[in-house]
Amino acid sequence: MNSRNSKSGKGSLLGRVLLNRQQFLSNSATAIGSIALADMLCADGLLLDSTDQPRIDPAQPYAARLPHFPAKAKNVVVIFCAGAVSQLETWDYKPELIKWDDKPLPGGPSVTFQGPAGNLARPQYNFRQRGQTGKWVSDLIPHLAKLTDDIAFVHSLTSTSNTHGPAENFLSTGFVLDGFPSLGSWVTYALGSENQNLPSYVAIPDPRGVPQNGSNNWGPGFLPVAFQGTTLSSKEPVRHLIPPGIAPPADLASRSLLQKMNARHLEQHPGDGKLAARIASYELAARMQLSVPEISDLSTESAHILKMYGADDSQNANKAAFAKNCILARRLIERGVRFVQLFNGAYASGGVLNWDGHNAIKEQYDLHAQILDQPAAALIQDLKQRGLLDDTLVIWCTEFGRMPFFQKGSKGRDHNPDGFTCWMTGAGVKPGVSHGATDDLGQKAVQDIHPLTHFNATILHLLGLDFERLSFEHNGIQRRLTNVEGKIIPEILA
Amino acid sequence: MMHCYARMICMLVAFSYVSLLRAQTIDFVRDVRPIFQKHCYECHGDKKQKSGLRLDVKQAAFKGGDGYGETFSPGKSGDSPLIRLVTSKDKNDRMPPEGDALKTEEIQTLIQWIDEGATWPDGVDASLLKNIRDHWSFKPIAIPKGIHTLDSFIQEKLEMNGLTMSPEANRVSWLRRVTFDLTGLPPTPEEVRAFVDDTGSGAFERAVDLLLHSPHYGERWAQHWLDLVRFADTHGFEVNTERPNAWPYRDYVIRAFNEDKPYDRFIQDQIAGDQWGEDAATGFLVTASVLLPGQIGKDAPSIRLARQDSIDEIVNNIGQTFLGLSIGCARCHDHKFDPISAIDYYSMQAFVSGVEYEERELRTPAAEAIKQEAASMRVRVAEIDEQLNNFESLARPQTLPQTLPQRPSVSPRKNTDRFVAVTAKRLRFTVLATNGLEPCIDELEVFNGQGQNVALASFDTRAKTSGNTHVPDRHEARFVHNGLYGNSQSWLSNEPGKGWVELEFPSEQEVSRVVWSRDREGKFEDRLATEYKIETATGTDNNWQLVADSTDRFPWIAGTDRDRSLTTVGLSGEDATKATRLLDEKSNLEAKIKTAESGQRVFAGTFRKPDEIHLLSRGDPEQPREEVVPAVLRAFGEVELKKDSSEQERRLVLARWIASPENPLTARVMVNRIWQGHFGVGIVPTPSDFGNNGMKPSHPELLDWLSTEFIRSGWSIKAMHRLIVLSRTYRQSSALNAKGVEKDADVRLLWRYPSRRIEAETIRDSMLAISGKLNLKMYGRGYDLFDKRGGLSGYKPIESFRGEGLRRMIYAHKVRRETEAIFGAFDCPDAGQSTAVRRESMTPIQALNLFNSVFTLEQSQALAERLSREVGKDIEQQIQRAYHLALSREPSIDELREAEFVVREYGLETFGRALFNCNEALFLP
Repeated sequence: MNSRNSKSGKGSLLGRVLLNRQQFLSNSATAIGSIALADMLCADGLLLDSTDQPRIDPAQPYAARLPHFPAKAKNVVVIFCAGAVSQLETWDYKPELIKWDDKPLPGGPSVTFQGPAGNLARPQYNFRQRGQTGKWVSDLIPHLAKLTDDIAFVHSLTSTSNTHGPAENFLSTGFVLDGFPSLGSWVTYALGSENQNLPSYVAIPDPRGVPQNGSNNWGPGFLPVAFQGTTLSSKEPVRHLIPPGIAPPADLASRSLLQKMNARHLEQHPGDGKLAARIASYELAARMQLSVPEISDLSTESAHILKMYGADDSQNANKAAFAKNCILARRLIERGVRFVQLFNGAYASGGVLNWDGHNAIKEQYDLHAQILDQPAAALIQDLKQRGLLDDTLVIWCTEFGRMPFFQKGSKGRDHNPDGFTCWMTGAGVKPGVSHGATDDLGQKAVQDIHPLTHFNATILHLLGLDFERLSFEHNGIQRRLTNVEGKIIPEILA
Repeated sequence: MMHCYARMICMLVAFSYVSLLRAQTIDFVRDVRPIFQKHCYECHGDKKQKSGLRLDVKQAAFKGGDGYGETFSPGKSGDSPLIRLVTSKDKNDRMPPEGDALKTEEIQTLIQWIDEGATWPDGVDASLLKNIRDHWSFKPIAIPKGIHTLDSFIQEKLEMNGLTMSPEANRVSWLRRVTFDLTGLPPTPEEVRAFVDDTGSGAFERAVDLLLHSPHYGERWAQHWLDLVRFADTHGFEVNTERPNAWPYRDYVIRAFNEDKPYDRFIQDQIAGDQWGEDAATGFLVTASVLLPGQIGKDAPSIRLARQDSIDEIVNNIGQTFLGLSIGCARCHDHKFDPISAIDYYSMQAFVSGVEYEERELRTPAAEAIKQEAASMRVRVAEIDEQLNNFESLARPQTLPQTLPQRPSVSPRKNTDRFVAVTAKRLRFTVLATNGLEPCIDELEVFNGQGQNVALASFDTRAKTSGNTHVPDRHEARFVHNGLYGNSQSWLSNEPGKGWVELEFPSEQEVSRVVWSRDREGKFEDRLATEYKIETATGTDNNWQLVADSTDRFPWIAGTDRDRSLTTVGLSGEDATKATRLLDEKSNLEAKIKTAESGQRVFAGTFRKPDEIHLLSRGDPEQPREEVVPAVLRAFGEVELKKDSSEQERRLVLARWIASPENPLTARVMVNRIWQGHFGVGIVPTPSDFGNNGMKPSHPELLDWLSTEFIRSGWSIKAMHRLIVLSRTYRQSSALNAKGVEKDADVRLLWRYPSRRIEAETIRDSMLAISGKLNLKMYGRGYDLFDKRGGLSGYKPIESFRGEGLRRMIYAHKVRRETEAIFGAFDCPDAGQSTAVRRESMTPIQALNLFNSVFTLEQSQALAERLSREVGKDIEQQIQRAYHLALSREPSIDELREAEFVVREYGLETFGRALFNCNEALFLP
């Protein structure tokens, strides 16, 4: 607690007071429990309540709120690659595996998630060193590979499930079970948004479909429903934005009659905050009706930008659509939307629609990487050139990794939750680091092992949120994004 | 001797080293606690107890953390986990995990302190360990002394806080409030009129009785229950496939509320109801998401983990729903706040470790009656078969003039050869060819004119054969006429493609029909006689007469199963008519039998021999420890079963323990839920946590008084409603006043009726009731909200509803995680986790959905049509009627004028759309 507060105490009044109190306490000769501290702070009106819950104004649920401590990152873009991207074909270079190609793994498992294990298989793409750091990255993703000098990789992540659905839950909510709040919901619940005319949290599904776990990845769980991700993409607009078949004058007539009815009703119930909040929600909705079509309209983007993202690719419709989603993500961040979750890959389909390369990983990844690589790299570069990366955190993640051996009788790799790679770049992230490692064959994390909860805790930390204080009481338990786990990964912080 | 001496020297040296370092003994407060404070309390103090270890309170410190045992072994520093952990060389093990290790002097102090006996004086700790068993809800329900009413408890608390109750709400407001509360629908204008006109005493009571007798009551209150048990019609998790027969549980809950099933019975039904014919009720056990077999990894650890997760969900459901306890917290370690140990948790698992998430037949009295009926229909079908035998085409063996084949080809299952009755002492069935290998016949039957099988050995008929392949208990010559069917009761020839069976009757018989088969059970199709002849003889001579053969049958073609049902080809006109009539009757009956016997199925779990349950170290199925037996939470009772107790007994015992009036939690938890259903907030605001971490009751005596009344009423939920909604407390106005706001802004003391927004289902149902489109059909399979009923994500919502889609929302097919496209945004639970309290959010998405959706526009249109239909073209009357339908009142002059303008310029539907969206329609008065 000491270290955290001394780090955070610079700008925030609350932080500074806490720091001073802490120093005072630790200097004093006798031990005083922190309950006493909390009492003193409460008396001063500094802590809203003992659980640090954000105070949400029901009339302005998206109003921007301060984090626990000052932080560089204000907004987040998550690039979520559904289906479990193979670490061995992308970021985790394992030359040893080339030697072992087509040999059985001595002492390896005979059966993995889908069935019998086959022989070890070399990385299916060539690797080469990139940038100043000389990071080895595969030829599968040449555009993203150029950005490695800005990226902090974590090569030693683990998940607690080897099934896509529960594992996506674990990545997005910190629990394998259904029904827990997603990362984006936690963040917007805590911080609100900088833009009051747009949803604070937008989930952009892949043009090929939604991920395996669908809306659970952007669900509010038991948090107030205001913090659910709103889905919006270049292909699918926000629902119910426009009343179909209603002429504008009639629309306006309904609206103004409603305003009068509600105003009169509020007059008869003076001081009722809930009624006022509901009136306010219609005003916000009306503003969204204007701002959402505006943000989805990419006609104002220059040809140069469309080309940079690959949105003009007439040969590859999925790539063009994903590229448009990437542009949409940038536009949302530009306008102060707090949390944007950009999906790459749909649901399980034997690896046809997402990164679940069970059957023929090389052929399948050739297609998927085409869709991901250029647009996602362009998004990061575009954010950077516009200065947005100074306060935006970009996360690249996937639910687990893949095995170093092929499945028996196929040229694909099975699920592997014991060691895989995700990365981040942007505000607050230490550029050009590779943290943690898997074993020589890339099967298991062996050095600086981090369950995904550590990765999520670090994301919260970068946003100025203490993963242990950001909690919500549900059925008798103070729930957190990281369950009872969690730890920050300091090695990847700037 | 030398050896001993050397050891003594060593000890002396060690002793003098320590003595030099510290001449005096270690004092806990002066020397040890500062070390703990500096290095340990951040993670092992009063705020946090990582790995269950707390070092700032004596009792807890000695007890130790999860899996480590006692922190200090007095006198034996070498055996103490504390010393081992602070001196560990392993980076992952060493304490503290971050920052510098303890200094050598600090470690030495700790070692010496322990070796000196680890003296920790009493009374020096800054915090006290709360006795977690000493908690209000764990104590027996206390019957408050004196005479009380519900209102007296509320009044007393208000007075103590210098507050008073608000005046009574007007009668219509109360009726509107209580109608929404009890039925989830607005009162009709006629109901409002009738109540206003009922000025006699007892009018309120009569109104409540009407509402409680309404079938809509169960539809409303079942929803609260389904929220709690996270009911859905799909399996959840990634594939989220349809659970097509989950709905009988939903119907059970609706019926139970409507019947006012005593709550103690309601509990027992849901845990063990299969034992007394309430099959659907046990759907409760398996409401959670579950991984289907194909979704679980093939490796053994994945399988074990999935099983643990599915049992865990059952324990959680029971703990939260009935007991208001988060028992699941003890899966990995003893509960941090409540007296629930990990052993308790796994003992609870043992009660339900024989439950599988599966479908089974729904046995209800109605279903049983239908089955009885099916049995009698079967008898009739047998009679018909018998009669139809007389209409089988007569065999035309090759001795008769040849015609084109008319009879169906041979079948492995059953073949009939009918011929003009002959007198026979013997009958011979000769196989001339097969579809391969030696012929096999499982039964050869010969019928006389009375339909009696005279071939049976039991008829004293004897059989001999051309030769046998004898396989004991499977192929024996005697099996050909023993009356039993199937391959393992058959005769097998010893010659490929041929063989014969000859029967000799005890006396001459008039026979007219032979029935034979390869395998009447239909499992085998090989070794079938494709060419054969049937001959009879009267005496003992060999003057055989051919009566039937295969020459007039269609040829056998492997793999085809041609329709072998009776045809009327070749029958006389009269026989054809009779046969057709019988055939029609038969197919009719068979269809009915099929329906009756396939029966309704229900996703309510199947029950098998319970798994052995072990305490799992840190909840990890790969680290099993000792086996546990079924036992209730030991802080609350002593019920314990033997290891070999039956599956049924386990659930029954658990159910009875929960449903006992002695259980301090059961009645309190339910009464609180009922209260919450009426006031939005419970007396205990954390309805599924009555433990130490939950909130305290605002009115503890009232809660106990209500619980006592509840039990005394025979656990009648309706009696509780009556008590509450007729109270003065409930009848208060919802208006705010400055004093109340100042002293009790959250209205926990109930100085007014706390108004709230109506819930998702109530909004949709009410809109349909107001537009006149509500379809009141109850029960049964749910209607669709999406283009599919389950499966991978990407559900496309249905926008325009007709017919079944206009039923109450509780009858919608509930897709887990995919909330309804319009009303889901109104805090509708997604059935992932238990929802004990719905939030009450106000979001712009709600506004967009309710203002712009096709559903709202269509209901606005329907309302417009209804108004025109009911009151004609007069705009003023139309608006008045709409106000009565939607808001239970007359519009004011101003309101009338404003609405009139809109209706005149833009049509009734434009006005209706505003009406459906206005706050007054969406808030309880």
